[in-house]
Amino acid sequence: MLVSDSAMAIRGLHKTIGRKKIIKDLNFDIRPGEVYGFIGPNGAGKTTTIRMMVGLIGITSGDVVIKGNSIKKNYKKAISEVGAIVENPEMYPFMTGKQNLKHFARMTRGITDARIDEVIRLVGLENAIQTKVGKYSLGMRQRLGIAQALLHSPSVLILDEPTNGLDPAGIREIRRYIRKLAVEDNVSVIVSSHLLSEIELMCDRIGVIKNGELIAVRDLHEKTDSEQSIVSLDVHPRDEAIEILNTAQHIKVLESDDQLKIQINRNDVPGLVTTLVQKDIQVYGVTVIQSTLEDQFLEMIGENVIG
Amino acid sequence: MGNIFSLVRNELGKIYVMKSTWAMYVFLVALVLFSFIMNTVTDSVDSETTYTDDWRTELQEENQTLTEEIETAGEDDPFVESTNMGIIQQNTYMLENDIRPYGYHAGNFVLDNLFTTSLVSLFVIIIAGGIVANEFRWGTIKQLLIRPISRGTILLSKYIALLLFTLFTVVFLLATSAIVGAIVYGAPVVNPEIIVNRPDGMASNALLPEIFMQYGFRVLNIVVLATFGFMISSIFRSSALAIGLSMFLMFIGTTVAQAMARYEWAKYILFANTDLSVYFSSYGPIREEMTIGFSVAVIAVYMVVFIITAWTIFIKRDVA
Ligand SMILES: Nc1ncnc2c1ncn2[C@@H]1O[C@H](COP(=O)(O)OP(=O)(O)O)[C@@H](O)[C@H]1O
Ligand SMILES: [Mg+2]
Repeated sequence: MLVSDSAMAIRGLHKTIGRKKIIKDLNFDIRPGEVYGFIGPNGAGKTTTIRMMVGLIGITSGDVVIKGNSIKKNYKKAISEVGAIVENPEMYPFMTGKQNLKHFARMTRGITDARIDEVIRLVGLENAIQTKVGKYSLGMRQRLGIAQALLHSPSVLILDEPTNGLDPAGIREIRRYIRKLAVEDNVSVIVSSHLLSEIELMCDRIGVIKNGELIAVRDLHEKTDSEQSIVSLDVHPRDEAIEILNTAQHIKVLESDDQLKIQINRNDVPGLVTTLVQKDIQVYGVTVIQSTLEDQFLEMIGENVIG
Repeated sequence: MGNIFSLVRNELGKIYVMKSTWAMYVFLVALVLFSFIMNTVTDSVDSETTYTDDWRTELQEENQTLTEEIETAGEDDPFVESTNMGIIQQNTYMLENDIRPYGYHAGNFVLDNLFTTSLVSLFVIIIAGGIVANEFRWGTIKQLLIRPISRGTILLSKYIALLLFTLFTVVFLLATSAIVGAIVYGAPVVNPEIIVNRPDGMASNALLPEIFMQYGFRVLNIVVLATFGFMISSIFRSSALAIGLSMFLMFIGTTVAQAMARYEWAKYILFANTDLSVYFSSYGPIREEMTIGFSVAVIAVYMVVFIITAWTIFIKRDVA
């Protein structure tokens, strides 16, 4: 992809601290209006990469180009297009949410009071905005962090582990406004996480990083016929069902305790159920328990490494 | 640079939103009141004596009384002699130079309270030590730096805010002393001529320029310490270290410089130069070849080194 077409282009990015090579030759592009998941186990180098993207740390070699401006050579122009939370949503604890937003709003020209109120509404903090941030829960600080990052209407939003410490409802809500930003305002969003499951549903694409290297990029919309899922079947009688699966359908049963676990293409699930029913098998439940994407992810990074 | 005003406003906002800052101002008021109470309890100022338009006769009579006191006390109490001679000399100077006395008034109280600026030093050191280091401690440094503003400008805004805080605090202290002084001792006229001690003896100066000069020298002193603390805060990201080192220098700096006075190089020690008031009092500098111009130059060199060091490290550092 051309540097000029992407919202953010990462080219040959390296970071060495002391003798330790923390980031090794990262290359990827964030397209306008896409949500890009930056996935990797703890210590993979996600935060380090994000720090280089926003100029907090020096780039050993390579470059980050944001909307055509190099963060190294044209810092002010490049950073004007970016809003970010790096590592934790840290704000001044002794000031209210509103005072914090006003503080950061003053750092960029042309942010109106109306805009401040708009971002407060977007993240749903209207009722807590006059409360001191020291009293906020982690979820509230995440929201305030996002509000702060959006003040100047950036074209690239970078959120480092935004789902950390959130309950499922909180994650759903973040997903809702990240999708809204991408779809309605054409904002490119980079979300990092060490848990694929927490951000999979909000991403258009994911890049997997491990030991400072990008080891895979997947487009989540390209769910082709070959996309396999692991499906759990609650059927009776079981042995007959296994027989049918093995012989008639050529499907291997991976596990069979209470329920049967099989690997199958998502699109083939309805047909399989019909076959089973026609052969007088009673079907009590069919559950997709794991997408193979997650399976592949775990395989790639090594299950035990995930913190 | 256009929005440097907004940045300075942000920095001042963060200083003044803290309750601890307001506690500092309460302490300053308390110290001024304490100074008044001590004056009263120890009877160290003569706030009774007042003078009328016939002040020439009154001064002469006063001198008469004082001379008699010395004679009665005789050799037994040399203390009486030295105190009274001081007052007699001052009265004589006023008579000879036609300077009208007003008794002890708010202006004298403000000048006597010059020592209260030490508390301002302490507070400014605390603010200077935290102004950069705290952003690292709170983690907010990341949010502060990912803006379309150069790091140098961010640092400059913090330094300007620190200077303004110093100025506001000293002005507040001056105003408190003046108001308390006016209430308890009265303010006969706004800008009377007062007697001051200079290296070559007694002289007179108008009250307001004298106050501005004396407090100005103290402000310079505070600004030097603040700049040092600011540098340490920026380099080591530790407010405790910055505050500790600055306070250490504040307490021992001058003493060390004095102890080294016999060596020629001692005149290049920062704290041999930071108190310019010595050039306007009977103390004089630690070495006699030193001049006020020399001291100003030494201070300037140190300040430039402090600021450039802080700046170089701040703009280069990886913020993790
Ligand atoms: N300042 C530093 N000095 C040395 N090593 C560092 C430094 N910062 C990060 N690292 C190392 O770099 C690796 C990547 O860290 P990080 O980017 O925080 O990972 P992630 O955000 O993916 O969890 C880790 O092994 C970490 O220990
Ligand atoms: Mg991280």
